[in-house]
Formats: sequence, C-alpha cells, structure tokens
Amino acid sequence: MAERRPNRASDADRDAAVTRAITRIPLDYPHRLAWWLFFLAALGLLAVFLVSVTVLFARGVGVWGNNIPVNWGIAISNYVWWLGIGQGGTLISALLLLVQQHWRNSLNRFAETVTVFAVICAGIYPILHLGRPWLFYWMAPYPSTMGVWPQFKSPLAWDFFAVVTYLTVSIVFWYVGAIPDFASTRDRAKRRSAQVFYGLLALGWRGAARHWARWRQAYRLSAALAVPLVVSFHSEVSLLMSAGPIPGWASTVFPAHFVAGAAFSGFAVVAMLATVLRKTLGLQDLVTAKHLDMLGKLMLVTGMLTAYGYFAEAFNALYSGEAHELQTLRDRFAGAYAWSYWGAVILNFVPLQLMWLRRFRCNPACLFLVGLSGAVGMWLERYMLVVTSLYRDYLVSSWGAYHASVWEWLLFAGTVGLFMVGFLLFVRLAPMMSAFEIKAAIFEHEESVDV
Amino acid sequence: MAARTGSVKRRAQAQAAGALAGRTGRRFWRALEELADAPSFRRALRAEFPNAFEGVSDTDRRDVLRVMGASLALAGLGGCTPAPAPDARPYVTQPDQTVLGRPRFYATAVTFDGYAQPVLGETHEGRPTKLEGLPEHPAVRGSADAFTQAAILDLYDPDRSRGPLHLNQPCDWAAFDTAMVENGAHLDATGGEGFRLLTGPATSPTLARQVAALLRRWPRARWHVHDPAGGDLRREATRFAFGRPLDALPRLDRCAAIVSFDDDLLGPGPRQTANARDWSAARKAFQADGEPCRLLVAEPAPTLTGAIAGERLVASADETGLLLRALAARFSEGPEPSLALTARQVEWLNAAEAALRAAPGAALVTAGPWCDPAAQALALRLTARLGGLGRTLSLVEPIQAWPDGDGSLAALVADMAAGRVDTLAILDANPAYSAPADLGFAAALRKVRLRIHAGLHADETATLCHWHAPLAHDLESWSDARAVDGRPSLIQPLVQPFYSVRARSAVLENLQGRLDANPRDLLVETWRARLGDWGDPRWNAALAAGFLDQPAGEVSASPTAAPPPSSAPRAEGLTVLVRPDPCLWDGARANNPWLQELPKPFTKLTWDNAVLVAPALAASAKLKNGDVVRLGAAGREITGPVWVVPGLHRRTVLVHTGYGRRAPRQLCDGRGFDATPLRTAASPWRLDGARLERTGRRAELASTQLNTALDGFDFVRTTSRADVAPAPPPEPPPTLYPEKVREGPQWGMAVDTDLCIGCNACVTACDAENNVAMVGKAQVAKGREMHWMRIDQYHEGPPDDPQLFNQPVPCMHCEEAPCEMGCPVNATVHSHDGLNLQVYNRCIGTRTCSSFCPYKVRRFNWFDFTGDDPPERQAARNPEVTVRDRGVMEKCTYCVQRIEKARIQAKVENRPLRDGEVRTACQQTCPTEAIVFGDVSDPDSAVSRLKAQRRNYALLEEVGTRPRTTYLARLADRERGDG
Repeated sequence: MAERRPNRASDADRDAAVTRAITRIPLDYPHRLAWWLFFLAALGLLAVFLVSVTVLFARGVGVWGNNIPVNWGIAISNYVWWLGIGQGGTLISALLLLVQQHWRNSLNRFAETVTVFAVICAGIYPILHLGRPWLFYWMAPYPSTMGVWPQFKSPLAWDFFAVVTYLTVSIVFWYVGAIPDFASTRDRAKRRSAQVFYGLLALGWRGAARHWARWRQAYRLSAALAVPLVVSFHSEVSLLMSAGPIPGWASTVFPAHFVAGAAFSGFAVVAMLATVLRKTLGLQDLVTAKHLDMLGKLMLVTGMLTAYGYFAEAFNALYSGEAHELQTLRDRFAGAYAWSYWGAVILNFVPLQLMWLRRFRCNPACLFLVGLSGAVGMWLERYMLVVTSLYRDYLVSSWGAYHASVWEWLLFAGTVGLFMVGFLLFVRLAPMMSAFEIKAAIFEHEESVDV
Repeated sequence: MAARTGSVKRRAQAQAAGALAGRTGRRFWRALEELADAPSFRRALRAEFPNAFEGVSDTDRRDVLRVMGASLALAGLGGCTPAPAPDARPYVTQPDQTVLGRPRFYATAVTFDGYAQPVLGETHEGRPTKLEGLPEHPAVRGSADAFTQAAILDLYDPDRSRGPLHLNQPCDWAAFDTAMVENGAHLDATGGEGFRLLTGPATSPTLARQVAALLRRWPRARWHVHDPAGGDLRREATRFAFGRPLDALPRLDRCAAIVSFDDDLLGPGPRQTANARDWSAARKAFQADGEPCRLLVAEPAPTLTGAIAGERLVASADETGLLLRALAARFSEGPEPSLALTARQVEWLNAAEAALRAAPGAALVTAGPWCDPAAQALALRLTARLGGLGRTLSLVEPIQAWPDGDGSLAALVADMAAGRVDTLAILDANPAYSAPADLGFAAALRKVRLRIHAGLHADETATLCHWHAPLAHDLESWSDARAVDGRPSLIQPLVQPFYSVRARSAVLENLQGRLDANPRDLLVETWRARLGDWGDPRWNAALAAGFLDQPAGEVSASPTAAPPPSSAPRAEGLTVLVRPDPCLWDGARANNPWLQELPKPFTKLTWDNAVLVAPALAASAKLKNGDVVRLGAAGREITGPVWVVPGLHRRTVLVHTGYGRRAPRQLCDGRGFDATPLRTAASPWRLDGARLERTGRRAELASTQLNTALDGFDFVRTTSRADVAPAPPPEPPPTLYPEKVREGPQWGMAVDTDLCIGCNACVTACDAENNVAMVGKAQVAKGREMHWMRIDQYHEGPPDDPQLFNQPVPCMHCEEAPCEMGCPVNATVHSHDGLNLQVYNRCIGTRTCSSFCPYKVRRFNWFDFTGDDPPERQAARNPEVTVRDRGVMEKCTYCVQRIEKARIQAKVENRPLRDGEVRTACQQTCPTEAIVFGDVSDPDSAVSRLKAQRRNYALLEEVGTRPRTTYLARLADRERGDG
C-alpha cells in the first residue's frame, strides 16, 4: 500500500462501502432467518424469565434454594458475573478511546452494547433477590417523608449507587457514540418509518463541524467518566463480600481481584461475540485477525491478574494461620463445593495459556472456546466465592448446604434471554459498528503509512 | 324428618339433573363431584343435618376472638357451663378491673403424665397467650419445661375435637347424654357388671374421689390405668425394695454425689423442672463454695443428664445393670457379679465409689425408670444403705391415683378378649396407639359391646369406639392435680371453651347417667373439707395461689429382701431401647407444632423420629443419616430412617415413641414411624437380639444442626473451679472509632454452660413469647427454621465415647455488630442501651445482615410463614410482639417488649430500673437459672458479677464483635488427680 498514492475518489468509494457494510445491517438485514431463529430462542428464554420472576414475586424468595447460612446463592453470584461481563465492554471502548487505540473501533459499539444489557441483567438481580422487592427504592437516597436515609456504611447502598451510575454512564456513552451512525443510517433509510426512527435517535445530527467538536467533547468526557468508574465500581461490588467478617470474604485483595476477574470475563464474552458476529454477519474485513489478537492478549493479561488473586487469597489464608480461614480454604479445595473451585481454576487458566501464542489468538474458533471457558470459569468463581464462604462459616453448628432450586436456574436462563433479546435487537436495529470511526481509523492509518 | 329428607333428596336430584343436562361420557362423573360441591347443595345439606356442620365449618379469627372476649369476665370466676349466647357481650363497656392492653395472670396448672405443672397463665383480653412457671410453687419456682410452655398451643389446636362423635359421625351432646342415661340404668341394674373404666395416668384428687364413688355405686365395675410412658415400672421397683408401692422422689439439691445408671434425672418428663431446679441449687453451691456436686452417669444412649455429667460412661443396658451390681457389691449390697469389667468401666466404678464414699448422707444412686425394676430396686436399696433415705431420696405415698388390685392395661385386655367387658369407657388415653403391640388391644376392643372414648382429639382409639366425647383442655377446665412433689394444684379455666367440649370430671359423671354435672361443683366437693363451700374466702386465696401447700408426706420404709436383678445371658444381636420421645413424649401432644419443630437433643431432628445408631454401628453397616432400615427381631419389625448419634453404645439402637400416629387430617398423621411393634407387654422398653437391615431406600430428615463435631474449636470450654474467681476488668479493646453513645442501662446476658442442661425450655418459651413461626419439615430440611434461640450441640473426642456439650445461642447483641454495618436501609440498628434492634417494617430483605453474622442467629421469612395460620393459632399470639411478614429478617431481641414494659413502669414510678426487673422469656423459664440477663454497666448486677468471673468468655472473640451475650465455661467436677 505504501508504494501507491491514495486515490481520493477511491477513498470516497471505500468510505461509502464501509458505511454501507455497517448501515445495511439495520436497514436490510442480511441473515434474516438466522436472526429470527436466534431471536425466537431468546424470546423463549425471556418468557422463562417472566415466568420465574412472576413465581418469585408471588410466592417469595423461598422458592429459591437459599437458607441460613447460605443467604446468598446464585442470584448474587450471577449479579457479580453479569457485572463483570459488562465491565469488559466499557474497558475496551472507553479506555482504548482515551489512549487512542483505533483498532478498538470495530469492536467498541457492540462491546458497549454488551455492557448495557449485561448491566441491566445484573442490576435486576439484587432487586429480585430482596425479601420485599417492591421496596427496593429504599436503598436510594431520596428525601423520604419517613426521614430515613440509606445506611451509608453499607456496601449494599453503595452497590445500588454504583449500579445505577454505571448503567447511566454506559447508556450515555453508548448512545453518544452512536449518534453519528444513527444519522448515517437515517440518511440511507428508504422507508419513512425507518427514517423517522433513526432520525429521532440521531438528534438532528447534520455532520457539521460544530457538531463534531461538541460530540468529541461529550464522547471523550463520558469515556473519561466511564474508565475510573469501571475500577471503582467493581471494587465496590467486591465490598459486598469483603466488608463482612466471614472467612474467605474478609480479604483486602478482593477489590483488585474482582476488577481483574470482571475485566477477564468481560473480554471473554466480547471475544465470543466478536467471533460469532464476524462469522455470521460477514464482517471479516472489519473485525480482522488483529482485533482477535488484541482480544486474546487482553484476556491473557487480565486472566493472569485473576490468577494472582487466587494465589494471594490462598496465601493470605495460609499466612494468617487463622483456624477459620484455613477451614474455609480446606473447604474450597476439598469441600462439598470443591468442584466450583477447581472448575474455576481449571477453566480460567488452563485454556488461557494458549493465548501466549499468536496462532491461537488469531484463530476465531480457538478464541471463542477460550472465551467460553473463561466465561464459565468466572461464573464458577463467583459461585465459589459466595457459597463456599457461607456454607461453613464460623460456628460448626450453623453449617449447612445450598442447592440452587429450579427457579434459580430458570431465572438465570431467563436473564440470558433478556440479554440476548436486547443484544439481538441491537444487532438488528442499530449500526453495530462505528462506521465513521472505522473510516477515520482507515484514513489515519493510511496517512501514517504515507508519512 | 322423613318429609324433609325427601325434599332434600328431590332438590339434589333436581340439581343433579340440571348439572348433568347435556353432558355425557367422562363429563358425567366430573359433574357429579361438582354437584356434591355446589354451594346450594351444601346449604340444603346443612339445613338438613346441622350437626354434621357444627364445628366442622371453619371458625374464623373474629369468631374465636369474639367468644374469647366474651369469656373474659368469666375467666377464673364464672362457672364452666357453656355460657348461653345471649350472655356474650361485645366489648363496648369495659369490665371492671380490666385495662385493655394490660395482661392478667391466673395461677393454674396443666397436666403432664397426669402430674400438675403449676403455671401462671397470661391472658390478654381474655385470650390466654403464655404460660410461665408458677413463681411461688416450691417444685418449679417460676420455671416451666418445654412441654408446659407448649401446652398453650394445644389449647388452640385446630385439630381438636369440636363436638361429640357417634360411630365417627358428628352428633350432639343430647344423643350422647341419652345413650349414657340408658347405659347407666342398665349398669345400675347389674351393679356395674362388665363396666370398665380406663384412664390415663392421673393425680387428680377429684378424679380419684369420683372413681371411688363410681366403684361404690357399681361394685362390680373396675378401673384400669394405662401409663404410656411407663411409670408403672418405678412403682414396681419400690414394691421390690420396700414391700409396697411408693414414690421415691430424688432431692438433688441435697446431693453431693449422684450416680445414675441410665436415669435421665434432668431429662424430659414431668419431674424435669423440679429435678433441674434442685440440681442447679447444688451446682451453684459447688460453684460458690466448692461444695461437692458430683454427677456420674453410665448409660447406653446420650441423655441430658449424661451430657452434663462430670463422668459419663457409655455402657450397654446389660453393662449398666452389671455396673450397678458391682457398685452395690462394693457397699456390701448384694453379691459381686461374676462378669469381667473393662479398664474404663473399672475406672468409672472407682470414681463412682470414691464420690459416694466422700458424700456420706448426701449420696444418691438411681437407675432409670425404664430399667429392670429389680435393678431400680437395687439402686434404691443402695441409696438407703448410703443413708440417703429421707435426705437425698424421699419416700412418699404414690402421688398418682392408682386402682387397687391389678389395674393394668394387660389385665383389661385379657378381660376384653375373654368377653368379660360389656362397657368400656376410656378417659384421656389412647391405648389403640400406645399399647404394646402384643396385647392386641384393638382386636380385643372390638369384643366390647359399648365403647366410649373421651379425649382432646378424635384419635386412633376414638375411631374404634362407638362414642367420642371431646374433652376440655386444662386451660379451659375446672379441675385439680398434684405436682411431682405431691402438692395439689387447683386448675381453673383461663378461658371459656370455644368448642363444644366437656371437662373430664363432667364426662365421668355423664357415664353414670348424671347430666347436670358442673365441673366446678365437682371440684368444690373434693376440697369442701379443706376450703369450705364456694364463695368461702379460703377458695379465693387458694385459687389466687394456684396450689395448696400440702406436700406429699414422707413415709418411712425400710428395705426388704428383694429378688436380685436378673442377669440374663446377653442375647446376640443388637439391643433396641424404646423411650418416650424427648419432644413429643407419648405422642398425645403430637399435634403441637412447637413440640414437633423443637430440635431434639443430640440429633436436632424435627418432625420425625429416627432409628438412632452409634457411629461404629453405622460404619460397620455402611449406613448414612437418612438410610431407611428394617429393625426388629422375631417378626416384630419397624422401618425407619437412621440417624447417627455420637455417644451411643455401639450395640444399642434407640428409637422413640410418639410418632407414626394414624389420625387422618390431623397434623401428627403419618409423621415418623410407630415404634409400637417393638414393644411387648413384658418388655415394653427393650428388645434384645434385634437385627438391622438396609432397605436401600432413603428418607429425608429435617435436622437443624448437621455437624456436631467440635473439630478443635473452642466454642464451648471447660475449666477448673478456680476460674469462678473474679478476673481483673479487661482493657477496652483498641479501636479507631469514637466510643459509642451509651445511655441508661446497658443490657447484656451471661449463659452459664456449667448449669445449662440443654432442656429446650428456653427455646419453647422464646417461641411462645415472640410469636416465632413454625415452618414445617420441608423448610427445616432446607435450613429455614425460625427459632430465635437454639441449643447448639457439640461432641468432642472419639465419636464412640465423646464428651457432650450444650450451648444455648441467642443473638449476641454485638457492640460492633457486622449486621448493622451491612444493612443498606438502616433496618438493623443499635440502641443506646446496647440492643441490636431489627426494624421489621424497614427491612427489605437483602439478608446481608445474616450473611455477615458470624453466629448465624438471624432468621429470615422466606415465605409468608404467618399469614396462612389457622385463626385459632393466630389467637395464641402475643399481642406485644409484631408478627413478621414475608421477606423480613428477624432475630432475638432480648425480649425488648419486656424491657420496654419494665422501663415504662419504672418511669411511671419515677425510679431507676432494679436489677432483675427485666427477665427475658428464656431466662424466666430456665429451670437451672443458667441464663442471666441485666445491666452490664452496673458492676453489682447479677449479670455483671457473672461476667466478671475468669471463666467468662465471648463466643468467637477473635472476630472482634464484642458480644453482649457471653458464656461461662463449664467446670470440671473435680481437679485432676483429686479423688
């Protein structure tokens, strides 16, 4: 490419091709049958979600398997897991925007979408798991006539603020970033209804220089908000456990451990979706081997950070020599839920080691499988953290067991449905990649090559 | 009648025709069911057969409250004849001396195995809500066991009979009365030929008087007593030892050394409260002054007495008898048995001998009431030889009323089978369930011409009888009974009966054709000599006191020659011991959810009995908890799930009676297994040569504690007596936070594990005081029981011969409570007087508090556990405590309602609260006074003095929660190497 001068006319054509490739997806969806099949499956799961939530609300949280001592079960582990998945999207999008890694542009939009729907799935869990879910708003600091405020020392109050903040920032970031592409889609739409729909979403975008300047400020500002939020927010979530005096929870490594683990699971899910979308929507030219390579590297880094967390936890327990901590460590290694510990360790780290080699990083199937393994492994880790600490805490007399009931599994499947419905609607209706940013990236790339 | 019946029939047919019009095939049958269920048909049926509906229809809460409210003015004063409806008054005009919202207390008693358990009954607006031990009664001194506490719920049992039955169909009392008058005339003609009366165990002087009068009227009639818990063996033993039946009452407060051979002195039973009171007095003297208080127990299966004993030896039933004879021989009482003893047994025996020798005149040797009567007699004689008669053991004339001659159930069944019984009246007994299997009671009963049953429930026996007469509960009757020390209690009603029931004494008169029997008059008749006519001031005084201070007089008797205990050769196979259930006893109370859900000592099982086996036996037979086995010998078999109990003898299997009831539509129906097939009239409590076989099936059992191994943790501690000395005040632990505001008294609790016998009285008292919900077996199995107070059970050492510990665990009320930090909505907060409060209506149910609680004392309403309670049960609730709704957390409050009540009273009287003025429900009922509550900021309060002892420790001190509930370590009976 270096030996020939860029042809401006062909540049315009290529730009138009990029825009067409992306905006044709919402306007004239290429794989309708496949989409409908996926969407029907997702709708089925959404129905499962509605049924299990109805049963839960009608009868009470006792339909789950929770008990004393295991007050929290997979509702809380799913909550943390979904949040982790969401976190990967924000990191890819916002952090790389700020550090001007333009390769992100093919991934950022759907990574952000993953964030939005994952955080929605996560955010409903703490509400569903309440004994009296209709009073969830009591966690919000509003001037109540009762004169009672949330209890600001509680990690849960801060969890509530964190989830609401994170969801707001994620949506704003996602939406601001998509405005120019909504405008492009609007401009290419042929049907009146589509023109109105995308026109409203585009907020009157005309592509004026002033628009671009304002947009740039807003976009970078929300990115700058989102990145520290990722860290602070997931640190806060870890306090849900580490603030309590329970063996296996009361650990200072938790905030860092949680952030790393969350990023890892987030990258894993983004990698899975990237490989699938790339294949099913024919976007190999846009999501290139380079992107897969970068995702693989990110998974490797965050995965190894998570591994350090495991090591630090075990080391701290052993180093403390404290009987209850050691008991919990033994229970994790060899107790009734040892499968969740070893499942997490093996699924998170053994396949991950393939990512040291570029060959495997660039192989979509391999990347998908490693991502899947990481997503499942991180789920097991969240489950392990919640359950193994609670089922045998201090007093031998209060030790018990926990088995998730069918309604918990159905609800989990239901949240997957909720996620999928949202994500599939996005794929179908919104510009899935940032057309203008890809164009800019290609242009800048060529400029730099020119120099 | 015929015409009306015809009209109903016609109407029903017309309806059927209407309902069936245009329907064919399967629909036809479905329509028939719908037809029978149609409201109009029900109305017609009801108009025609009102009796069938009397009491069967659901009484709603308002009706119950209305009836009870109306009965307020009469409670304790009025007659017990059913008040005619026009007398019912709405609560518009407040009755004199009544302040709404302020409870009234009546001294009365409830019976347990026929013995009076003296109580002070609390009523709110005429509604009995709580029973406390009667503070002035010397036998109980304000304490009450779990059974007594739970009696209040029996009163409100929705499964109680609500009207008489004839041939198991509802009838009215007039029909019953007619039949009784006819039968009475018939018996008058024959002098009572063929009339038999069968009662449960009873101590009531009125019953004794009535029965005596009945036998005078019908000289050929006979009276039999069926004691399902086996009190008769004890009587047999005194006959062996002293030549005549007597009651031997242990005086544990006077004992310096107690050697028990499988006698659960402190365990469940009518004497538990009195014995535990006495023992704790001796134990406190040991703590304070070092007065010896030794307790040595040899037993095949763990008992509460064994768990608290200084030296516990696991010995089979045979070995127990052998050890008793060996010990007796050392005191020249009987020959030395020939069999060899193990080193461990000799060591225990030496310790027992030394302890007895060191306690001249203050020694007690005792053998369990279910042991061989000859062995029990040997223990009595040994006590006599050690100078215990009149000191550690009082002999009194039998407290229970008992027929002359052979009044046993076996004699009755033999006569029934031989066709010599014409009329059988069964009062307050359920032999069809509880009689030993080989008697064939049910079959023999069918040969009786007229069978009459009177009881609280339409139970197994009632269904086999022609007539069932529902009895009034003790709390709605006029009656009397004697406590375990012989003092007569006067039983006065707390409430008018709200079902169509009669008092036992009235039914006894009805049997003789007398229909105008008034239970109060019958009671007055009994005590006329002592208290005069009704209206005499002596009556008022006696009813206010609740009992007459007239203990059973001691008699002197000297030991007679007696048959030596049998030394039958040991049978091959396992020895099965049958015992009354520690929570349900003989099964008569099996409809009581508080007792059903009460975790049983050592297994913590609820809602079920189990085949209890030793760890060694379980290992060799490859059995796990919940494996269903067949257990039995010689064609007598039961099938039930296994539970492994550390401390059980390896060749002994323990099963409990009280389960396997067959009472359709009642709470108890079909729970657990019936142990009756293992029992014979000759050997009701023991079966030798038994085999245990796996069936391959499993059954779910609901236990509240799955792990009892202490695993080296120091949750319970044992120390030496020197540690009762005060410790220097502890340094306040370092903290980064400012000291919290503390105003007024600082509440705290001390639990003396040296005194706690794990009797569950506190658990039931807490259930009653705090409206604790019972959740049923399925929820308990899921780990969702709601008890605010629990007794943790631990064992340490080898599972075959471990040391056993009990530890009551209420909320610790931590000064640095992790739960308070975790709650996002301020639903659990700290009060200035040191309580960790739970604000139900602020709680949204995040359960963070419970996740963060190191003690896991918090309980969560996973469902709406209270909304569906039958109206009767709702009426039993304490109005001073919130009934918790679905989705909120709850836990022990230190009985904050009692604290507030006392605080307000002190404020009204403008004085500070006195130490001991606030007593929590658990503390109040504790028979050993192991729980002490009070102001920890006052160094002179009882609780502060206990907490100052060196043996005071905080549970999980290392977590830094600074709990206000602390524990006092158990004391070793003796120093190492000392005697």
